[in-house]
Amino acid sequence: MATKFDAIVVGAGPAGATAAYKLAEAGIKTLLVERGRGRGSKQVFGGRIYVTPVREVFPDVEKTAPIHRWVKREKISILHNSRILSLEYESPEKHSFTTYLTEFTSWIVDKAINAGAVYVDEVRVDSIVEEDGRITGIEAGGERIEASIVIDAEGVNRLLLEKLGLAERLSPEEVALGAKEVIKVGADKINERFGLEEDSGLAWLLVGEPTDYLPGGAFIYTNRDSVSIGVVVYLATAVKKAREEIYRLVEKLRLHPQLRQYWEDGDIIEYSAHLTIESGRRFMPRKLATSGLIVVGDAAGLLLNTGYTFRGVDYAVYSGYLAAEAAKKAFNLGDFSEETLRENYEKKLLGSFIAKDLRNHTGVEQIMHEVEFFEKYPVVAIDTARKLFELGYETPRIQEALRSSLKTHHINLLSFLYKMFKMVRKL
Amino acid sequence: MKRPRIVVGIKWVPNTQAVRFDPKTGTLIREGVPSIVNPHDLDAIELALKTREKYGGEIIVVTMAPPGAEEGLRHVIGMGVDRAILVSDRVFAGSDTLATSYTLAKTIERIGRVDLVFFGQETIDSSTAHIPAQVASWLDLPYIYYVESIEKLELKENKVVVKRKLEDRYEWYEVELPVVIGVAMHSNPPRPISLTNKLRAVTEKPIEVWTNKQLGLDPRCIGLRGSPTIVSKVTWQPEIPRKRKIYQGNPKEAVKWLIKHLEEEKVLP
Ligand SMILES: Cc1cc2nc3c(=O)[nH]c(=O)nc-3n(C[C@H](O)[C@H](O)[C@H](O)COP(=O)(O)OP(=O)(O)OC[C@H]3O[C@@H](n4cnc5c(N)ncnc54)[C@H](O)[C@@H]3O)c2cc1C
Ligand SMILES: Cc1cc2nc3c(=O)[nH]c(=O)nc-3n(C[C@H](O)[C@H](O)[C@H](O)COP(=O)(O)OP(=O)(O)OC[C@H]3O[C@@H](n4cnc5c(N)ncnc54)[C@H](O)[C@@H]3O)c2cc1C
Repeated sequence: MATKFDAIVVGAGPAGATAAYKLAEAGIKTLLVERGRGRGSKQVFGGRIYVTPVREVFPDVEKTAPIHRWVKREKISILHNSRILSLEYESPEKHSFTTYLTEFTSWIVDKAINAGAVYVDEVRVDSIVEEDGRITGIEAGGERIEASIVIDAEGVNRLLLEKLGLAERLSPEEVALGAKEVIKVGADKINERFGLEEDSGLAWLLVGEPTDYLPGGAFIYTNRDSVSIGVVVYLATAVKKAREEIYRLVEKLRLHPQLRQYWEDGDIIEYSAHLTIESGRRFMPRKLATSGLIVVGDAAGLLLNTGYTFRGVDYAVYSGYLAAEAAKKAFNLGDFSEETLRENYEKKLLGSFIAKDLRNHTGVEQIMHEVEFFEKYPVVAIDTARKLFELGYETPRIQEALRSSLKTHHINLLSFLYKMFKMVRKL
Repeated sequence: MKRPRIVVGIKWVPNTQAVRFDPKTGTLIREGVPSIVNPHDLDAIELALKTREKYGGEIIVVTMAPPGAEEGLRHVIGMGVDRAILVSDRVFAGSDTLATSYTLAKTIERIGRVDLVFFGQETIDSSTAHIPAQVASWLDLPYIYYVESIEKLELKENKVVVKRKLEDRYEWYEVELPVVIGVAMHSNPPRPISLTNKLRAVTEKPIEVWTNKQLGLDPRCIGLRGSPTIVSKVTWQPEIPRKRKIYQGNPKEAVKWLIKHLEEEKVLP
């Protein structure tokens, strides 16, 4: 095969597509390989993207990206026993938007193709080729293509990195499973039922009943004319404790008596499931670059789950951008050694807001594993609220309501306070 | 030495397996359903590739479809096909099998010398299996269907031996070239897409688009006007509701219980 490339990017998710675009834009001959059909067909996410880091990479994001709605309302709710306890926040600012990941990724892939990158879909890369301690290209179906640099953007299930010995095999403790449905409701009905303005949206996180009291969370995002609903559960606890398949949980969420009014008589237009990283920091490979190779996006462990929101796509985009910058430098220097790539990519990434975020939130991950936190506390919270709001003859003080709820559920007040204190500190 | 030229006709169809059923409204959800190459046509592509491996030559794929079908053509080029022709023009819209086969036959004529014309057994969206036979009629060529393999190809003597699979037997036919062949479904499982072939599909642009400007067909014979078929009525088979009966107990009793119920439901006589 006569075709030769300067750079090969494996995986056309937000991370890989961004890297390919920035490389091609700089005149570097780039091949972007994706195993799925078309664009973005293999990618799944919940529903919202934080815009600030994306804007730095794509200044035209607000004008040309497939933005569905700007998230102007945040809602966190505990559901139990036909009762809902919520915290709501509203802001006029445009900090994050909802979209379909497939559309968002296609938007970047199109940019890459227009900038001159060659995009090949339906081809799974079998391995990244290493010769004499140096990455020299990729192999697929017994065929090889060489390049000076390979960017690994294969996502969470990083079989290629495993083969290279740069990552361990996935273990259930490291991943969570997400399942989601997209229900087409119509823009007017969404505005009316959720009380939203034309282009403003809602990001809603739920615990308790919707996750069957398992560690994790359920989510609801409003898109332009559809609603994305889904559940994420931690695989390790789910395997031990789950009473139902995850898709059944999504179905229960859809049929929930207090929620289904929002998408009543809508059509399910998509169903999907995907793994996600549970702890980005633990998931990060020992090194993010070797001679001739840079690792970006989920494959590099760049995902944050704070318990009330997800950040993965903006990190993926930003890391793809940093990788392209480092590769550009390497081409200028004619030096693709591990030292140079780590100096120009890994060091930048570890000094960026992404690594800072991941370091900062390690505590949340511990909480996310405390079964008690998801099994008992939602119930206590609802019970306490019920005692405070559903008054008969007597009017209990907050303290009394809490105490008696704790007692009903055999939780010691001191241990409860200690845990809450610990939690607040970690958050 | 003379090398065979093989034409393969493929159809770009909605992926009927991805069409989901809405349990609430009882209707089919077609939105966002991606199209695919008719799966049975991939057997024909595979047989063409095997034939080329043995005898050399060139494989030209033809499809009559809207522009979106280019994706399907890239798919089969990814498998190893040499050239592809997309027959696409508004004037072809609304074709029934007669108009479709006429247009395809004229396309094949225009390609020039052709030795073998392969088709899939039938499509997953209409399943008439009319097209190959009708194309053969228009071109006045022999037609053999349910073909599994090419046993012998002798271009010098202008003949081919094909093996045909029937329910209870195999048959071998020796026929003169050119010949139209309907390839049996599931007979030649398709090979995976190759990286370098797919690259060729993207970088070398081996897809030509032919409109009626090139073909110059009489408007009375193509598209809606050239389609005498009248669809008078289409109905869906009603779904038979499940009985949702579960027997709990030992297998011996369960068998008796099951037979009794099947008799009651008149499933068993
Ligand atoms: C249920 C769920 C909800 C989420 N919600 C959010 C959210 O609301 N907001 C947010 O920002 N993030 C969210 N995330 C995280 C986000 O989806 C990821 O962080 C992001 O998609 C990572 O991008 P990526 O490009 O690194 O990987 P991916 O998007 O996974 O893309 C990797 C690509 O590589 C391809 N590939 C893999 N292996 C190969 C191979 N060998 N050869 C060729 N191609 C290959 C895959 O097909 C895929 O297209 C969520 C994730 C899940 C699972
Ligand atoms: C009663 C009836 C009415 C119809 N009315 C309309 C109509 O009004 N409007 C409309 O758009 N369609 C209509 N169609 C559909 C249209 O006639 C068929 O889709 C088309 O002619 C192909 O027939 P088929 O799918 O049954 O192919 P088959 O004959 O089952 O296909 C056999 C093989 O022929 C080849 N082949 C089939 N189609 C093509 C193609 N387009 N290009 C290249 N190779 C091909 C493939 O190798 C395929 O495996 C109608 C079909 C029927 C049965």
